[in-house]
Amino acid sequence: MRYDTVIIGGGLAGLTAGIRLQKAGKNTAIVSTGQNALYFFSGCFESIQEPTPEIQSLFSEAGIRLHYSPGVRLMPMGTFKESALALEDVSLFPSPKFGRKVLIINFMAYHDFFSSFLAEGLEKQGMECRIRFLNLGDLAQPELGPNQMRAVQIARKMDEVWDKVVQEVRVLLKDEDTVILPQVFGLNDATIPERIRQGIPARVVFAATLPPSVPGIRTQMLLKKRYEVLGGTYLMGDRVTGAHVYEDTVQNVVTKHLDRHYLEADNFILASGGFFSKGLDSNPFKVYEPLFELDMDYNTDRNAWYDPSFTNHQPYMGFGVKTDADFRPSRKGVPVKNLYVIGSILGETHPELGCGAGLAIRSALKVANLITEPHAVPGVYTE
Amino acid sequence: MKANEFDVIIIGGGITGAGTQRDCAMRGLRTLLVDRSDIATGATGRNHGLLHSGARYAVNDPESAAECIRENMILRRVAAHCIDENDGLFVTLPEDDLDYQKTFVQACRNAGIRADIIDPDLARRLEPSVNPDIIGAVRVPDCSVDPFRLCAANMLDAKLHGGQVRLQTEVTGIIREGDTVKGIRTHNRNTGEDVEFYAPIVVNAGGVWGQELAQIAGVKVGMFPAKGSLLIFAHRVNNMVINRCRKPSNADILVPGDTVCIVGTTSSRIPLEECRNVAVTPDEVTLLITEGMKLAPRLASTRILRAYAGVRPLVSADDDPSGRNISRGIVCLDHEVRDGVKGLITITGGKLTSYRLMAEMATDLVCKKLGVDKACETATTPLPGSEEGSYEEVAKKIWENPTTAQKVAASRMGTRVSRMRSTDHRDEALICECEQVSMGEINLAIERLEASTLTDLRRRTRVGMGTCQGEFCACRAAGLLAKAHGCIEKEREDIDSFLQERWKGNFPIGWGETLREAEYTQWVYKHVLGI
Repeated sequence: MRYDTVIIGGGLAGLTAGIRLQKAGKNTAIVSTGQNALYFFSGCFESIQEPTPEIQSLFSEAGIRLHYSPGVRLMPMGTFKESALALEDVSLFPSPKFGRKVLIINFMAYHDFFSSFLAEGLEKQGMECRIRFLNLGDLAQPELGPNQMRAVQIARKMDEVWDKVVQEVRVLLKDEDTVILPQVFGLNDATIPERIRQGIPARVVFAATLPPSVPGIRTQMLLKKRYEVLGGTYLMGDRVTGAHVYEDTVQNVVTKHLDRHYLEADNFILASGGFFSKGLDSNPFKVYEPLFELDMDYNTDRNAWYDPSFTNHQPYMGFGVKTDADFRPSRKGVPVKNLYVIGSILGETHPELGCGAGLAIRSALKVANLITEPHAVPGVYTE
Repeated sequence: MKANEFDVIIIGGGITGAGTQRDCAMRGLRTLLVDRSDIATGATGRNHGLLHSGARYAVNDPESAAECIRENMILRRVAAHCIDENDGLFVTLPEDDLDYQKTFVQACRNAGIRADIIDPDLARRLEPSVNPDIIGAVRVPDCSVDPFRLCAANMLDAKLHGGQVRLQTEVTGIIREGDTVKGIRTHNRNTGEDVEFYAPIVVNAGGVWGQELAQIAGVKVGMFPAKGSLLIFAHRVNNMVINRCRKPSNADILVPGDTVCIVGTTSSRIPLEECRNVAVTPDEVTLLITEGMKLAPRLASTRILRAYAGVRPLVSADDDPSGRNISRGIVCLDHEVRDGVKGLITITGGKLTSYRLMAEMATDLVCKKLGVDKACETATTPLPGSEEGSYEEVAKKIWENPTTAQKVAASRMGTRVSRMRSTDHRDEALICECEQVSMGEINLAIERLEASTLTDLRRRTRVGMGTCQGEFCACRAAGLLAKAHGCIEKEREDIDSFLQERWKGNFPIGWGETLREAEYTQWVYKHVLGI
């Protein structure tokens, strides 16, 4: 099977590159193992200070509404973090004291949403808090078992009965100006969070739960849908198991399910993620990129990989594949001509691009531009 | 008697202290146990979890060997829910001297330890993970023991017999009147409260820290701390204990325990000041892996979960200040006879397997001094939870069709699991998925077993001990602790210190799956939860 570009990794970086290339008329395929970092996406693009029109349109065309409002957002344990660009259902405030009286809604027997921590955090900011529990069994049958009380299972129920939650909250609401709900709304229908806001006569804030992240999974599904609408081939649940490289050019890659049907392409993009996504791996002696054995940028002394304090920055998280300014990697010092590396597999080798979602989107757009504008001067790119 | 007066005060919440308190309480004494942190934080919780058959000591220390086998047989009966009766192998590798096997077996038999030479083929069938190259094998009655569970069960029984337990309580002074010890001064590290407790007898069961305590009391006990490092593997690759049949050396024991297995140890002398903060070095990790692979080659491809180190409370035999004559045996010092200080006893040395005997010796001495004439019953009275032999039977009596989580809970709690039975199925919610720990079990540990932090909960329930090392269960359990104690601020700090404690054991082996998991934990806590 032959494509213009084959992308390894179907997370935020891979999908961004894929969508951008499909829009430019390229024929692409994405090989995705399934889950990716979007499953614990906070809903906030932390390292993006100001969205470019290109980023705005990437999301709006996929049906994902962003809002830009520099300030802080509420974290799940009642603290605040500086943020500027987020999904629409993630509230951004000019300052941590965003209300006067707050009603916090949780579900009974749900241990992945920290209502008491939220209340304590908000009370520190001078807000008065009241916590009330809804019984999920009263809202939707059959009842979830005690070990099914996880974000996605609840969200599936909520897609059906979110309006009952609105009614319950309206009954519970006294003189509070803000209602906090767990972020378990709008898994399959992105309009639900907004409809909940319209139904409750107070400011509605959705606070994150333990992963998996409902807005993250929704984002993943919408981007994937957009990519497929544009004609992209998303190979879900498959894994690239090998690659054939001839001299300085990748010829094809092999996947687990396609067996001997190699995926051939003019260009390949490696967006296979960091350690957790297995884009990077390590053993007692080295940190390596397992698929192409690309040259790495990292400290070879294992004692320097860690900081003994958990809270400090961990050096290993900065390790990544070494590339030139055009995101082209090398093998044993020889540059690979038609391979590009994007997203968290870069670690912190391109600090100007930020980390997490910011790094994924920026590096993906840059590489997609390089591929679609082959005459651009190497090393010079514009955002 | 006033509220702060007791018959005997025991300092140290390790297995020796907890066992001594239980024995004293069972003989009708009013007891108090204090520890500067939590139960089982010293050597008790930092070893292989091996209930020795004594075989390991048979050649060099026949007395300890005989002691071990006697205690081993007793504990199988009275501490059934803390013990896995899985037997052990002493294997000879091609590089080892097969002649040693004869000496070894003879020594075992002399000490009263059943030691059967078996065909290497049979050994490979009995224990498929064992190195296939073995040229000799001896089967011995080794067991696995959960030291946290054992310690908690002793503490619980002491409480059931009227004993009091004060954790996070540091001894700041020994109250003396002339040559007589009258009690202790303490400082509560949680509340900041300073309290004095009085008793005619104080038992120093401080393990390696017993030297400092003795100093406070004005007597000298010479400890010779030896650090031992161990590795925990994320799967239980072996079902029998695997030992090397040679002179005891580094990393020659592999012990299965619950869902994991543990290889160790190394041995190096360290200064007393370093005892509270021992770390595993990269060289030790390499040595443990290389030697461990020789016992069970599968370890080479098994994920390592943690590295940790403990300090053996080795003590110099009396009148030998040089420390050359170090004893691994039990040392019970009557400081009245030895130093002319009345009312002070030190019980130290020994090992996990012989804790009950140590407790009996110390309690006999306490009773003699108090003029109490009551025989020791700990060799025959089961610990709470151990009244029935098999945990599966226990689970079946309580639940018609026990789930995996219920069976696992029964294996951890023994018959005490019946207290977890609740009409509210919400109590079945799993807080820790790796180790199948339910909300009911956690709440029970908070209520009945004095757990006040996440790390305390881990020691009592295995929360956060599994493959994810506390990714989600830490905040879930923190929510329950916060609810029980009503203090969110403290729980925030608690989560921090729990994660730090997990990381301490992870980074020395931080590669492969461990590094993968660590990166995920970093993301979850820093970026998702904002801690």
